[in-house]
Amino acid sequence: MKASTRSPQHWARIQESGTVIGMRIMVWIRRRLGRWPFRIMLGLVIAYYYATHSLPRRASQDYLERIWLCRTGHPPRWRLWLGLRHFWAFGQSLMDKVDAWSGITPSVTLSQEDRSRLDHAIRSGRGGVMLVSHIGNLEICSALSDTRDDFHVTQLMHTRNARKFNRLLDRSTLQRGPEIIEVSEITPATAMRLAERIESGGFVVIAADRIPLNNDGRTRTFDFLGEPALFPEGPFRLASLLRCPIYTLSCLRESDGEHRVEFRQFDDTTALKRRDRDTWCQDAMERYVSWLSNQCRRYPLQWFNFFDFWHCHELTFD
Amino acid sequence: MTHSLELELKQMIIDTLELEDVTPDDIDPDAPLFVEGLGLDSIDALELGLALQKHYGIKLDAESDDTRQHFASLNHLAALVEARRVK
Repeated sequence: MKASTRSPQHWARIQESGTVIGMRIMVWIRRRLGRWPFRIMLGLVIAYYYATHSLPRRASQDYLERIWLCRTGHPPRWRLWLGLRHFWAFGQSLMDKVDAWSGITPSVTLSQEDRSRLDHAIRSGRGGVMLVSHIGNLEICSALSDTRDDFHVTQLMHTRNARKFNRLLDRSTLQRGPEIIEVSEITPATAMRLAERIESGGFVVIAADRIPLNNDGRTRTFDFLGEPALFPEGPFRLASLLRCPIYTLSCLRESDGEHRVEFRQFDDTTALKRRDRDTWCQDAMERYVSWLSNQCRRYPLQWFNFFDFWHCHELTFD
Repeated sequence: MTHSLELELKQMIIDTLELEDVTPDDIDPDAPLFVEGLGLDSIDALELGLALQKHYGIKLDAESDDTRQHFASLNHLAALVEARRVK
């Protein structure tokens, strides 16, 4: 593939950095020595990573510039500090991931409305699709599913990127986390499996902010934080086929360390007519992108797409 | 393949994919369903898969099943249904 040699910036091509052994040491420190020694180590690792990895650093700077312009009307002042904080937030999310899957209960808050919405969605037995993004901390959401017997989550991932990390967690922690279906493309077999989950009242979690590697042209362009960016149609096509309630789900870290879970009704495709799908897709994607922008504005440092989000579509994938 | 199953499947395809200008007679049981022939695409394949699951309780295994093979033509589809249907 030519594109990968020319520019490795498509997200799926970026290897999650750090050797497995280094990550295992970190997990060990977290679990044996506790929170503070871990935080200190993590700080050092993050600073090192920031200094030595120019691609994600540039992606972060580019993003921070945009979001600051959107939020405040001027570019950020303390770039280096902000960049480090951005990376730190990501490191923190990894720690939360380790915690959540190690059975250390994260402190999670849901507003009264979100809680009752979630409760209602689970009890309705209709299942559904939960649209998520790479903002904040999804593993906490998944860990939520461990707290209730009737809350079944299947996470769809089309990445090999996180595989290393997940394998490590499997080995180092006791819990396996939610069911993860890893796919590079959605086949009828996958769709049928997902339909089965929903049929039995389960929830399918899909991130809708990353275009698939084998870019098949099923993407649409939307203005996102001031510049056009590509978004995948796939998750929305799938949601329309599965004929079920659609929700958005996010989990964002507050400054006091609490995780705020937001669960919102997004749509319902049960009665959606085939001929209306295309229009629905456009409208739903527009609403998703605006939801995403809103999340970025509110929690600017928890955007964890460390690649050139706006320009990676200039690559041609064959 | 029984004639009734053939007709049933044709009707299922037409209904599921809302192929308004197509009658069961237009579907050649040996012709490819996708790209050529009926000109269906990958999204249609997903939908057809879901319809098969709903109507016949068919399960496909992502690992071992060659979906392309099963969906190659109406005859292939009918063979799949006959072999795997649970309802």
